[in-house]
Amino acid sequence: MASLRDIRKHIKSVKSIKQITYAMKMVAAARIRRAQNSILSSRPFAVKMEELIADLRGDMESENFKTSPARSLFDERPGALSAGLVLVTADKGLCGSFNSNLLKAAAGWLRENRAKKIRVICVGRKSRDFMRRLKGLDLEIAYEMVGIFPKAGYVHADLLAGNVLRLFERPDLGSVTLIYNEFKSMLAQRIVRTDLLPLKQRINQERRSAEHKFRDFSFEPGKRRLLETLLPRHISAQLYRVLLESQAAELAARMNAMEAASKNASELIDGLTLRLNKMRQTMITTELNEIVSGAEALGG
Amino acid sequence: MPNKLLLTILTPEKAFITDKEVDFVSIPAFEGEMGILPGHISFVVQLKEGVLRYKDGHKKEIFAVLSGFAEVCGDKVLILAEEAELAKEIDEERARQAYQKAKDALAMRGKDMDLDAAQAALRRAVVRLKIAEFKKRYK
Repeated sequence: MASLRDIRKHIKSVKSIKQITYAMKMVAAARIRRAQNSILSSRPFAVKMEELIADLRGDMESENFKTSPARSLFDERPGALSAGLVLVTADKGLCGSFNSNLLKAAAGWLRENRAKKIRVICVGRKSRDFMRRLKGLDLEIAYEMVGIFPKAGYVHADLLAGNVLRLFERPDLGSVTLIYNEFKSMLAQRIVRTDLLPLKQRINQERRSAEHKFRDFSFEPGKRRLLETLLPRHISAQLYRVLLESQAAELAARMNAMEAASKNASELIDGLTLRLNKMRQTMITTELNEIVSGAEALGG
Repeated sequence: MPNKLLLTILTPEKAFITDKEVDFVSIPAFEGEMGILPGHISFVVQLKEGVLRYKDGHKKEIFAVLSGFAEVCGDKVLILAEEAELAKEIDEERARQAYQKAKDALAMRGKDMDLDAAQAALRRAVVRLKIAEFKKRYK
């Protein structure tokens, strides 16, 4: 049976935990607005970029694009011996099931590709730690990027894209898959698993109608060179969006987790306070009883 | 010429200007500076890091842009830059420091250093400095 002192101590510690979780929630809430804004402000650029590429790509079919090195980004590579993975997680925990769901998805992917050699690019401390812990797989960490959240910038995306492209230069690499959390709403995140490379042909089919627009355009320095520099940028822009999404999703997840934790702490405190009061009351009652019965015994 | 150009400057992190009416734009194209007036032929060019200027009546504005693409289509001018900075916001002292740092990094040239990155940083610093000086002269 816990004594009064024990319960008081317990209440105190729960209170201080609640303070921490509440503070973390407020921090996440303040940051999430910024994260959402940066998603919004990155959108016009990404849209225009996609349009530009789509337009150019339509023109590219007739050009001598087949020999260009950028062409290989589109090629499917059947029978490849290794596979690439870009796993984007958070740097820190305390954000509910954010990381564990991601790692579960990654584990699923690893199981599917266990026959191949696996090359991973880790973004976020949790993903790196997870990959390092893994044993019994033919796995190599090609690149890791740790500590960029919550201040992910385009520079990081650019760096990441450079590394992804370098990875894809290996002829034995079949594809690069991307696993990350998408920011769906403040309450929900969605795990997304897409193939980053090879680039999809759909880019060009979607916007075939726009092709005519570009018929009488002049290009500098030549369409081919233009596309060769555009495509890596496209990947950077895409990765930038992914980083921002993941960042916002992480903050949202942390906010929810910390709110739940604060609520639980409050409930716990309420319960404990009730128990404390009851116990104190019982003690008082017993003492009173003793005094009264003692007085009666003396007087009677 | 009654019509004007509609200028849009976008970077991945921020939309600087959307559909602003201007009279004249000068962009740092890959093979040299390029002036655009209303009625220009449509084109797509790659940009290198440099100075972007535009004129709206008597108001002039200068931007630093760091590599990207420009598309002119009809009266619309679209700049997709990797980074852009309003000249007014560039601090000369900081630019000079960045320049020095980039130069030092290049001079040291460690074994595992990324040469491309260092050179890009140097080029950016040069552009910032150039703009800072440009600003001093015209103010």
